[in-house]
Amino acid sequence: MSDFLELMVGAAASGCIYALVALSYLLITRPTGVINFAVGEWAMVAAFGGFLALSRFELPYPVGMAIVLVAMASVGWITERIAVRPLLEKGAPPLAPILALLGMLVVFREIVSVSMGPDPQPVPPMFGYGRLELGLVAGSYQSFFIIGVTAVVFGAAWYFFERTLAGRSFEAVAIDRRAAALMGINLRRVTTLAFAGSAAVAALAGLMVSPNVSAHYLMGLPLAIQGFTALVIGGVGRVEGALLGGLILAVAEQVTVRYAPIPPGLAQGVPLVLLIVFLLLRPTGLLRARESRA
Amino acid sequence: MKSLAGFLLAGLVLSAVAFMLGSYQTDVYRKLLLWITLALGYNFLFGIAGQVAFSHFTFYGIGAYAMVILLFQVGLPLPLAIVAGIVVCVVLALVVAIPATRLEGFYLALATLAFAQLFIVVLNEGGSVTGGPGGLANYRLPDILGVRVTGPWYTVVIVFLLLGTLAVLWRLDRSWFGRACRAVRDDPQAAQAMGINIRTTRIVAYAVTSALAGVAGMVYAFVDNTVNPPIFGLENAFLLLFMVIVGGSGRPAGAIVGAILLYLLPFFLSPLIGHHHALVFGVVMVAVVLFQPKGLIGIWDGWMTRRRAA
Repeated sequence: MSDFLELMVGAAASGCIYALVALSYLLITRPTGVINFAVGEWAMVAAFGGFLALSRFELPYPVGMAIVLVAMASVGWITERIAVRPLLEKGAPPLAPILALLGMLVVFREIVSVSMGPDPQPVPPMFGYGRLELGLVAGSYQSFFIIGVTAVVFGAAWYFFERTLAGRSFEAVAIDRRAAALMGINLRRVTTLAFAGSAAVAALAGLMVSPNVSAHYLMGLPLAIQGFTALVIGGVGRVEGALLGGLILAVAEQVTVRYAPIPPGLAQGVPLVLLIVFLLLRPTGLLRARESRA
Repeated sequence: MKSLAGFLLAGLVLSAVAFMLGSYQTDVYRKLLLWITLALGYNFLFGIAGQVAFSHFTFYGIGAYAMVILLFQVGLPLPLAIVAGIVVCVVLALVVAIPATRLEGFYLALATLAFAQLFIVVLNEGGSVTGGPGGLANYRLPDILGVRVTGPWYTVVIVFLLLGTLAVLWRLDRSWFGRACRAVRDDPQAAQAMGINIRTTRIVAYAVTSALAGVAGMVYAFVDNTVNPPIFGLENAFLLLFMVIVGGSGRPAGAIVGAILLYLLPFFLSPLIGHHHALVFGVVMVAVVLFQPKGLIGIWDGWMTRRRAA
């Protein structure tokens, strides 16, 4: 039983990472309709930011974390200025920014591989390496840290979208871009904020996952794929969908690795099969978008 | 008639080149021809039929593996293996396409990306059938009617593959089917109103181009005489997309230009920046999407129009 519970704590932690990546997609997709595969690379860049700030310059964790998040929000903003805004303003077809961002994905990855080298680099966890036991439930410090931070982020995202005017304006843009613009919502500002926020959320995922996997220039694409799998499972309509999808994906993954009688390599295929099944059977995800309220 | 003469001339010239090259140059030349073949097929799927699929390169791999497995593990004779390999590609393409073409827009990209990744997982875990992470090696093309096809003569086979692919796509593009594909790409609802069956059009376009990629893969199997998982990874699927976009999507000439440019670029860049040519690819890709959405072939078109006007 305690073995199973420990597995679940680990699964919940990786599920939270997937959920953060999924939220990162969602923040951009909702208002702009753009699917940004570069979110995985943002997480990767943030992991290297964590390596520089925490391992090389040995800043205290909260300071280093804050610096990385602010830096990544600016990276998101710059990405939007370079690869998205000119296309939106030209009225380019919807596919164009997606392709430009695919190009940016390669640019990010190669800049890191050129400047930081191809070797994995260590990033320290928040509270050091250790194991926390709360009765039957046990797991590493980092797992609990990831779960806690993700809960706060999703709480904040929920509050932002449901309770603040700026968040409602995101929602309005998602429902009808033109109408929102006519109501006086600044589309440009919403898009900029979406990219900056998305990059910061992706950065959080990269920073928190890197103590387990090390910062490596190829870590982005797997994260990007797991993130959108989570998004597809949960549904793009609602913030909670990203969290639910991430958790389902991680539990399915861990349980097959642990209990299913198939070789561990083949278990890597589980999320892919899950993604395909969901795309085919339920492309809207588990949680449907809420009907627009009067 | 004129285009037939053009094909014959191109075939003669491309084949003649094959006999003038050393062994390293032959290897480069063969792969260049294969990339052009793939880019032409992907151009039809992405540029003309408007399907953002990441599975094109995967079918190249499926073709290559199917060929090797059918010939040397199952032990089929070559003609049967070719037919069976094509059948495998078409069946798998239909299995992917029939459900996946129901998906709107970018979800097709996600599904095919997952399919591409799944293929790599299966290759790695395939045990003795696929050779696992090391792949399959130590085989060679069986004799054809008692003749060993090697060296420049095998390059001629690749030239035939390229021209055959080009001819098939050329015919398709100029038929009602090509116009139907463009109509479905530009405005599915209008296309449907004109009596075009959207799903059938999408499925056929996907299956035909995937089968062509599979055939190219079968030919590739005897270029390096080894097949292994890293060759067929996502990197090359992205590269194929970049080739078509940089050259000019929707135009066969664009696909050819893009394939030649991006395939040869690393050879010129590596003395300058070593193995970091992918950075240049990314920058070029972003720049083309931003400033030259019609691709490099669009620059040529603009230049020609201006010359005609002057």
